[in-house]
Amino acid sequence: MNATPDAPLRYNEDGNVHMDFHGAANTTIEFLVERYGIAALHEIFRRVGTDVYQDMRGKLMAGDSQEVVKHWQHFFTREGADFNIEIGADEIVLTVRHCTAWHHVQQIHGAVSAQFCDQTTVVNQALAEGTPFAIDTIIDGPGSCRQIIRSRG
Amino acid sequence: MIPSDHFTRFYNEVFKFLEGKGEEDLNDYFLEISKNQENHILELIRTKGFEGMYQYWSVIRDEENCELDLGYDDDKFELTMHLCPSLTKAKDNDAERWDRYCDHCAGWIGPIMDKTGYHLVYDVIDRDKPQCVMRIFKDEEKAREAEVDVRLLMGWPGRKPR
Repeated sequence: MNATPDAPLRYNEDGNVHMDFHGAANTTIEFLVERYGIAALHEIFRRVGTDVYQDMRGKLMAGDSQEVVKHWQHFFTREGADFNIEIGADEIVLTVRHCTAWHHVQQIHGAVSAQFCDQTTVVNQALAEGTPFAIDTIIDGPGSCRQIIRSRG
Repeated sequence: MIPSDHFTRFYNEVFKFLEGKGEEDLNDYFLEISKNQENHILELIRTKGFEGMYQYWSVIRDEENCELDLGYDDDKFELTMHLCPSLTKAKDNDAERWDRYCDHCAGWIGPIMDKTGYHLVYDVIDRDKPQCVMRIFKDEEKAREAEVDVRLLMGWPGRKPR
């Protein structure tokens, strides 16, 4: 699991955060599922994983999982989530105890789509597809999950 | 979680998918987003008019890190975008950008202005540049006059550009 701690992320956003985008994402998910079904929604998430995150996926392919860790650290910090990342010999575990995205949608919409967390599960799967790593997502409850990177070998 | 910072790149993928389904599907999606946005802006417009628009887009300017000017007088509200972070991110993207990415703004704002009795004139200028000018008029005649000088006039569901 190579380390590139000083290199900036491919998408290294800073400045303020617009949490209402998660509300628009929730509306989009509900629209897509109702009109085209879950498979279509997953296909779009898969493209996010393979195409939008092409750079991060390329690093995974090259055996570098640290870019995903940096991505988690950067964006979960920006969004004020309650989380931690444990780096072990065989696996890296991101534990999200309070996902601010999920809770923001719950607050502004009153309900969160049943497929809201599919964005995490499917993007992780697509990111790891064809790489030496697997990224599994375990939903532990409303707005909490674990994401685990393991070597496939 | 797709970070809120990356929503626009997810949005871009949704647009490409929907374009493949057809223009009507895109319009239906713009209307759905418009309905979602009503939660944030409709009451402000109905109770405060241009001042409500000013308040809404002031929050957007700050939270989305936009470089823009806002102002209004008795006749119109005006937003001049100097650097749009949404298009900038859609372009700074390992995935291909949807070439009509800018259409989504008028796509959700137009229906809200129709609903509240205002008249939108949306000049995207150039779909490849992260700049635009949005004017919202109380008087329809003045809106039609303002369309004359527009470089790239946007339409929205239910209203094609002339």
